[in-house]
Amino acid sequence: MKKGAGNPLRCMQCGSCTSACPVNTIREDFNPRRMVGSIARFNRLPDQDPWLCSTCSLCTDRCPQAVNPFSIIMALRAVVYENGGEAPAGILRMVEQVRETGLALPLTPESLERRRLLGLPEVGLSSEGLSEVRRILSEAGFK
Amino acid sequence: MSLTLYLGCVIRTVQPEVEKAVKETLSRIGVSFREQPEASCCAPSWFFSLSREAWLRLNDRNMRLLNSTVVTACDDCFASLNDAFRILAETRGVRPPDVKPFQTLLLERLREVKPRLGFKGLRCAVQHSCRFLRPRGRGLDNPEDPKMVKSVLETLGFLPVSYDGELNCCGGFVSDEKVGGEMARLKAGSAEKAGADCIVATCSHCMLRLSPVSRIPVLHLAQLSAFSLGSDPLQIGLPESLLRRVVKR
Repeated sequence: MKKGAGNPLRCMQCGSCTSACPVNTIREDFNPRRMVGSIARFNRLPDQDPWLCSTCSLCTDRCPQAVNPFSIIMALRAVVYENGGEAPAGILRMVEQVRETGLALPLTPESLERRRLLGLPEVGLSSEGLSEVRRILSEAGFK
Repeated sequence: MSLTLYLGCVIRTVQPEVEKAVKETLSRIGVSFREQPEASCCAPSWFFSLSREAWLRLNDRNMRLLNSTVVTACDDCFASLNDAFRILAETRGVRPPDVKPFQTLLLERLREVKPRLGFKGLRCAVQHSCRFLRPRGRGLDNPEDPKMVKSVLETLGFLPVSYDGELNCCGGFVSDEKVGGEMARLKAGSAEKAGADCIVATCSHCMLRLSPVSRIPVLHLAQLSAFSLGSDPLQIGLPESLLRRVVKR
């Protein structure tokens, strides 16, 4: 199991996580109990999209067994990505933006103008700072 | 009191009026702060879930740069910095720097500073952010019955309203737009149905998710605090329609 992830083996499949899950109320096929179960009982990656998770952590708060389904779902995303699976395009765009400017979103001419009118300071890392951020990202395995 | 203000990515790139409102509020409650332009994105959950290593290393760099008590104005930044700093400090056997959400600092200071204006009658539906409330071990507020942002609003002269699904997640980070959008629509619709004039958030991502689907304005708490403490409403992005409503009452 990934570092920092919870413990799926403690899960007794009670379903407290799924009944708390706000995504499950809209998409029944997103089911944290089944995700944890497929790892704990079948040692198999679940066939659900871990990116549907809203990351609200309510599953973890409601779990009577300290399984921490939230961190298991986060670890699943990483496992899928590291094994060549997909991550949402919007997420990868933000990673790319961090590599470019150190921030997850771009500063558009329009927002720069609004900042100027409000008398706000300039935003941006120095070139040394940016090199440091880029080195961290490539050493952590971002292509 | 001196601290470092960490504003993160969303506020600085797309919500400059919120940045103005946060800074105005801090000045008006007597908090001096510095900024650290070299700090990077806090690498929150979406990042962390691709690479825990990148999350920790980017925040190791941020921790070195920020180097004092940090105040955040977005609860997603709060949780990411706070959690990473704790893990990093623990491995080194040192004390992590304090990370304080804007609303926590505001509530502390409002015990000493009296707001100049009161706008009783502006009904506010609070968008309680998941990152601030959970996991429950954070202990900043009661995750099943949160009070902090409501107390701040009351102290500032606003009227918090309760609404169905108040504790639900807004869907901010659901990567499927249809699902996330539906969660936000349900929430914003319920706030409006309860008679709220606006939705008040403390997380930039909640604001980004709720704004496009809400028929009532979605504001950052700082916009209301700055207003109540005497800032020019136009500088802090308060919609005119909302102001007209306040004046009428």
